[in-house]
Amino acid sequence: MTAADLAFYVLSAIAVVSGWRVFRTDSMVRASFLLMLSFIAVAAIMLMLAAPYIGMATVFMMAVEMMVMALFMVMFMMNPAGLNPMNMVHQNRLSIGAGATAFVGLTVAVLFTDLPHEKVARQAPVIRDLGHELLGPSMLIFESAGVTLLAAMVASVVLSARSGRFGPSDEGSRPPGLEPGGEPAGRIPESEQEDE
Amino acid sequence: MTAIPLVFALLAAGIWFAAIAERFASARRFPSAIVLAPLWQAARLLSQQRVRTEYPDALNWALAPLVYGALAVAGLSVVPFAPGLVVAPLDTGIVLWGACEALTIVAVFLHGWSANSMLPLIGGYRFVAIGLPAMLLSMFVLIAAALPAQSLAVGAIVESQRSMWNMVRQPLGLPLFLLLGLAISLRGPMDYGDASDLSGGTAAEVSGPHRLAWGIARLAMLTAFAAMGASVFLGGYLGPWLPGPAWLALKTAALLLVLTWLGCNLARMPAPRMMAALWLVLLPLSFLDLVIAGVEALL
Repeated sequence: MTAADLAFYVLSAIAVVSGWRVFRTDSMVRASFLLMLSFIAVAAIMLMLAAPYIGMATVFMMAVEMMVMALFMVMFMMNPAGLNPMNMVHQNRLSIGAGATAFVGLTVAVLFTDLPHEKVARQAPVIRDLGHELLGPSMLIFESAGVTLLAAMVASVVLSARSGRFGPSDEGSRPPGLEPGGEPAGRIPESEQEDE
Repeated sequence: MTAIPLVFALLAAGIWFAAIAERFASARRFPSAIVLAPLWQAARLLSQQRVRTEYPDALNWALAPLVYGALAVAGLSVVPFAPGLVVAPLDTGIVLWGACEALTIVAVFLHGWSANSMLPLIGGYRFVAIGLPAMLLSMFVLIAAALPAQSLAVGAIVESQRSMWNMVRQPLGLPLFLLLGLAISLRGPMDYGDASDLSGGTAAEVSGPHRLAWGIARLAMLTAFAAMGASVFLGGYLGPWLPGPAWLALKTAALLLVLTWLGCNLARMPAPRMMAALWLVLLPLSFLDLVIAGVEALL
C-alpha cells in the first residue's frame, strides 16, 4: 500500500465517520461543523485526484456554507442560540427508505459507470481546462445555477429582514407557548409590545 | 524545505513585532520595557489559573485557538520568500488563502459558541455577521489582483508586479483587503468578535494558557495576513539591493504597523450599520475594483 492509498483510506474514514456523527450528535451547530469536516475530507480526496481548484473551492464553499447554515438553523428553530441539546433525527422510516435508495442508486451508478483510468499528466493545465469548460460549453448551466442561487439569496434576505419595505416581517407572529395556550416562549414582536 | 523555518521565523518575529507595535500605538510612548513586555505577559498568563464555565463544549473550545493558529501557518505557507522559495508552490494559492479566511470565521465562531456563556456567544454570532461579507469582498479584490497575473498562484501574482505594484494599479484593492485583515485578526474597527463592549467577546471566559494561545493565534493571523497583503499588493519579495526574504519582512512589518495603527485609532461602528456599509458600499466598491482590473486586462 502506497502513501497515497493510505491517505485515501484515512480521509475516506474521516468523511464517513464524521458524516455518521452528524446524525448522532445533539446540537445543530455541532452537526453543521461535523458535516463540514466530512466535506473537507472529501475535498482533500479531490486534491489527490488532481482537481486542485475544485478541492480548494470545496473547502472554501463548505466553510462558508456550513457557517451560514448553522446561523440560519439557529435563527429558525426554537432553540436559544443552538445551545440546548436536541434530537437531530426525525421521520425515521422515510429517511431510512430515502437513505437506502440513495445508497443503492449511487453504488449502482459507481459500479456501472465507465470511469476514466488514465493518469492526469503532472503538468496538465487542469485549472485552465476547468475555466474553459465552465465559461465555454457549460456556461448556460453554470450561469443559470449561479443567478438562480443569487436570486434565492436576495429573496430570502428580503423575506426575513425585519425592516422590510412592506413593514415589519414579524408583524402578528407570536412564538408558541411551552404548554398549549400558555405564555409565548420567546420574543414578542416590538409592534405588539407597544400595543400592550 | 528551507522555506519551512522561514515561515515560522517570520511568524514568530511578526507576532512579537505586532505585540510591541500594538502596545506602542495604544500607549503613545516608548518605554524601554515595552520590547520585553509581551514576554512578561506571556509568562504571567502561563502561570494563571484557568476559568471554567458550566458545560462548555470542551473539545471545540480547546481546538479553536489551535485551528486559528494552524490556519495562519497554512495561509503563510503559500507566500513566496524569493523566486521558488515557498513551502507550498500551489497553482491555487489564493484559493487556499480564501479557504483559510473562511475557516477562520468558523474557528472564531466556535471559540465563542463552545464556552456556553452569554457574552462570548454574542461575540461569536456578531463576528459571523460581519466577517462573512468582509471575507466576500476580500475574495473579489484577490481575484482582481490575480487577473493581471493570469494565475491563482501567489508567486505568479508577485511576478506580475515587476513593472508596477498592484497597490498602484488597483488603488481600491489594498484598502478593502486591509478591512479583512482587521476583521480576521479581531482588531479595532472590525473587531466584532472580541470587542471590549462585550468584555472581550469570544475570549471573555478564557484565561491563562488558553488566553495566551488565543492571543498568539490572533497575532499569527495578523502576521500571515500582512505577509499575504505585502505579496499581493506591495510586490512581495521584489525590490533592489536587499535579498527577497528581507524585502518581504520589511513590507510585512510596514503593513503590520499600518494595521495596528488603524486598529488602535479608528472607532467601531454599531454592528448593523457596519453590516449595511459592508453590503451596500464596500461590496460594490470591490466590484468596481474587479471592473477596473478587467478593463485594464482588456486594454
